[in-house]
Amino acid sequence: MAKKEYSIDIKDSNLLYHEEFREMETEEPEEVPSPEKEKFKIIGDYTPRIDGERIVTGRAPFTHDIKLRGMLCGKILRCPHACAEVVSVHLSRARSLPGVKATLQLKKGRVKYAGEQVAAAAAVDEKTAEEALKLIKVEYKTLPFVVTEEKAMEEGAPQVHDSPNIDKFNDYNRGDIKKGFESADVVLERTYKTAVEIHHTAETHGSVAKWEGKRVTVWDSTQAIFNVRDGLAQTLRIPASRIKVIKKYMGGGFGSKLGLNDYTVAAVLLAKEAKRPVKITLSRKENSLCVGNRPSSIQTIKAGVKKDGTLTALYLKNYTCGGIRRGDRCSEPLIDVYKCSNVKVEEYTVFTNTGAGRPTRAPGHVQGTFALEGFLDELAHKINLDPLELRKKHYTTKNEGGTRIPYSSKGLDKCYLLGAKKIGWGRRNKKPGEGNGKIRRGLGMASQIWWGMGRPRTLADVKLHRDGSVEAVCGTQDLGTGTKTYMATITAETLGLEPKDITVKIGNTEYPWCGSSGGSTTTPSVAPAIRDAALKAANYMKNQTAEKMEISPDDVIIGKEKLSNKNDPAQSISFKELLKEMRRERVFHGEYVGRPLGYAYNTFGAHFAEVEVDIETGKIKVLKVVATHDSGRIINKLTAESQVIGGITQGISTALFEQRVMDEATGNMVNPNLRDYKIATSFDIPEIEVAFVDMVDPRINILGTKGLGEPPRIPIAAAIANAVYNAIGIHVSEIPMTPDKVLQALKRKEVG
Amino acid sequence: MKNFKIAQPKTIDQITSLLSEKRDKYYLMAGGTDLLGEIKDEIIEPEAVVDLTSIPNLSYIKKEKDGVRIGALTTVAELAKNLMIKQEYPGLHEAANGIATPQLRNMATVGGNLCQRPRCWYYRDPQVKCRKKGGSRCFAFRGKNKYHAIFGGGLCYIVHPSDLAPVLFALDAEIFISSSKGDKSIPLTDFFILPKVTVSKENILEPDEVLKEVKIPAPKRGEKSTYYKLMERGAWDFALVSVAVKANVSGDVFKDTKIVLGGVAPAPWRLKKAENMIEGKKITENLLRQATKEALKDARPLKENEYKKELIETIVYRAALSLV
Repeated sequence: MAKKEYSIDIKDSNLLYHEEFREMETEEPEEVPSPEKEKFKIIGDYTPRIDGERIVTGRAPFTHDIKLRGMLCGKILRCPHACAEVVSVHLSRARSLPGVKATLQLKKGRVKYAGEQVAAAAAVDEKTAEEALKLIKVEYKTLPFVVTEEKAMEEGAPQVHDSPNIDKFNDYNRGDIKKGFESADVVLERTYKTAVEIHHTAETHGSVAKWEGKRVTVWDSTQAIFNVRDGLAQTLRIPASRIKVIKKYMGGGFGSKLGLNDYTVAAVLLAKEAKRPVKITLSRKENSLCVGNRPSSIQTIKAGVKKDGTLTALYLKNYTCGGIRRGDRCSEPLIDVYKCSNVKVEEYTVFTNTGAGRPTRAPGHVQGTFALEGFLDELAHKINLDPLELRKKHYTTKNEGGTRIPYSSKGLDKCYLLGAKKIGWGRRNKKPGEGNGKIRRGLGMASQIWWGMGRPRTLADVKLHRDGSVEAVCGTQDLGTGTKTYMATITAETLGLEPKDITVKIGNTEYPWCGSSGGSTTTPSVAPAIRDAALKAANYMKNQTAEKMEISPDDVIIGKEKLSNKNDPAQSISFKELLKEMRRERVFHGEYVGRPLGYAYNTFGAHFAEVEVDIETGKIKVLKVVATHDSGRIINKLTAESQVIGGITQGISTALFEQRVMDEATGNMVNPNLRDYKIATSFDIPEIEVAFVDMVDPRINILGTKGLGEPPRIPIAAAIANAVYNAIGIHVSEIPMTPDKVLQALKRKEVG
Repeated sequence: MKNFKIAQPKTIDQITSLLSEKRDKYYLMAGGTDLLGEIKDEIIEPEAVVDLTSIPNLSYIKKEKDGVRIGALTTVAELAKNLMIKQEYPGLHEAANGIATPQLRNMATVGGNLCQRPRCWYYRDPQVKCRKKGGSRCFAFRGKNKYHAIFGGGLCYIVHPSDLAPVLFALDAEIFISSSKGDKSIPLTDFFILPKVTVSKENILEPDEVLKEVKIPAPKRGEKSTYYKLMERGAWDFALVSVAVKANVSGDVFKDTKIVLGGVAPAPWRLKKAENMIEGKKITENLLRQATKEALKDARPLKENEYKKELIETIVYRAALSLV
């Protein structure tokens, strides 16, 4: 392994998602088991997290908590300039500081944003490591930079890469857009903006690396242990077989911890040089600058509609900015959700000298939904149609606007019914802004579409020990959503035990393979795999029992910690007794094999919001949110509801407050902290009612379950903006909807 | 963060004699909620931190005949939960109660709240050397300035972040300052200074001076006060704009009115023109709006903070009407 330069292939923001999803679509399994019709006892119930107590009492070890013997503190020196040429890096003074055990140059050539890593040092404590960074002498040649998309799009703006700052990356056409507009009675055009958001996980990013001979172990706060392992193998040319990645507990990822990070590579290299373990944890400021963000968007939608409400044409032009990397594809909801024959999309990325965009809880869909759903409400008003009716009118059971393959299951219609009833949709202003007074109320809604179909070839094991204990093992990682708990409930359900009887092991690359916890794929990947393994274990137990009782295995029932004869319930053997008789422990391999081609697998939902707007201060108060979701069979209602509440909380925060602010003069982010980058407080979160359609998808996997991680994040900002529109009669059209922007919108309304 | 010394004096005299030796890089710390942030963000590099909490008897709220005396080390939480304050100076209670979060209120002190440094994001960026830090320009002037000053700017456009300052200002508070040269008391109105006087600091305190006590005169008959604060989010936020209104109210007529704004200028900002226009008159929304509009003619908004004018007009009338 040389100390020469390396580069990490971090894929462009959500393109990674799209590639993966496309790949998932093309894999046809040989034999696909259909979902069980069976009624479950624990699956689908409210089960508290099996690790909840450890977490809330502070005993669960997070990556930040890892302490190893002789462990050094690693720190990274970051470029203070938005654009500069690194002329030289001098490490020797830092290296000779007592207590410093390793130093590293991480960058040559051009630095393209303020915060990019340049060098690193590892020392016996944090203080010494910080001092070491101050002794590293870097000579920069500063260069012109551009940090906002508006400026980057101007002619003559400094070029971020060796190519134009504006780059088209998506061109989509369906039908004939020109004819579509010609046949319209009404044509409307509107522009919507969404700000750059920072993931701001509660636990900042961090890695610990430890070498033992030629093997290296990495503890990482990651959503993807196997991606980290394979990324390290590829980057540093270490055989994957010699790398172990461990993740026990983590404080959130939201997409910012999906792959290998450059600081992890630095930790591994520093540990190698120092011959001691090295821990690198990033500060809140580093977390703001250099581990990803949600790209911004400026989306213009133009649509044609007939007087009866039929959409004849939909056109989207999107300028999205993901800093030095590509922005987000925001067009998927517009292409997919509503029936329309003539659709055209043009998406451009705008490069700036800012930190790279990265998948952020439903990349692209959040921005795209804000624009599309806001536009539909304005359009509905133009033709005097109830906005919900406009959506129902364009309902389709096939994807891509009704032109391609059927959805395997779609409960969006049920979401509409349920949500409208629970919020009292009839109470809305029939005409937006028709109310009086200084405080105006309004109701709004928005639809959600996302993937959430699971990764074929996910593996999981169930292990039966001779002492009667049971393990459920999978190389997945619980990013805080309750993966461990449903692995226990599914195994317990299948073997007739209680969740507490199952020892769950995850978060280690030595366990059976599982993909990243991103794209709402974890449950639909891991749940069927562990169910498959547990069913195999149950069948083995049934067979053993049948042999003993001299009955058919079909006549054996498993439940209540025993196996009994269906025809003579008095005849039974306890689960533990049966295991004791085994000569050795047994491992059962489960797999999620995939799903049939020819169907589109998507999750759906609708959010309904009620708001109050103070028209003299521009302050929005969200009064109530009703969230309805179709994510297939719900495995654990308690954690699923929490997931939805979490998504809505995050969505309210970004609808009303969150925004990265860049300064054009310095090239710096001016709010790289949690004081100035405002996240919602508990005072800002209203009553949230969650309702699941809870329908079993007939094909997707053995349990009929779909993902839920991202869906609740998608429609909430749009629903709030639409409720504000309903209250004040003008769409604010830009998030975050801070008081200054609401007041500006009200002024636009006055002008007309 | 560099190493620094900690001094834990036991008396005010010990502090003042310590500070009299011209020690530029000695910083006073009360609750530390601001100072520690400044140190960690490398905005300042103290040689020594003088911990005031080691001095006994600087935390008190004493009611006397001619008013109330509040020790500089009284926490904001203690102030917020004091019933006498709530009854006699409701505006002060409201201001204290709306500061930051319960955790911060438990640590933050009255003296520290008045002496805290600005939250301007350029001032808080260790890479930026703005005028306040000895540089040659104000980055907010042409930069990102939605939270900055619309009054009293020039040279520097910070807003004073204190919530207690506007209301104490309106209540005619006095402050007591100790130094090696002896004690003195001054009206709070003379405590804060604008950038055009001294750009590097927000108040008159010299390096060898310590704020010891705040005194508020006893409320006059019919005196009422209130504090309105507009924040972007529901808690843990500095004011977009805030207003303290104090007046002798009889029916709907205001006398001796004080209207003091927060979040709009480098110091608490009094709307004298508006005060004069409503003095002795029957208070209505319309009159208050007119009076505020008149006073707002002196405002000099920057590119992104014009909206503060509208917010001020609203909270002034709402705060004043709430006293009727």
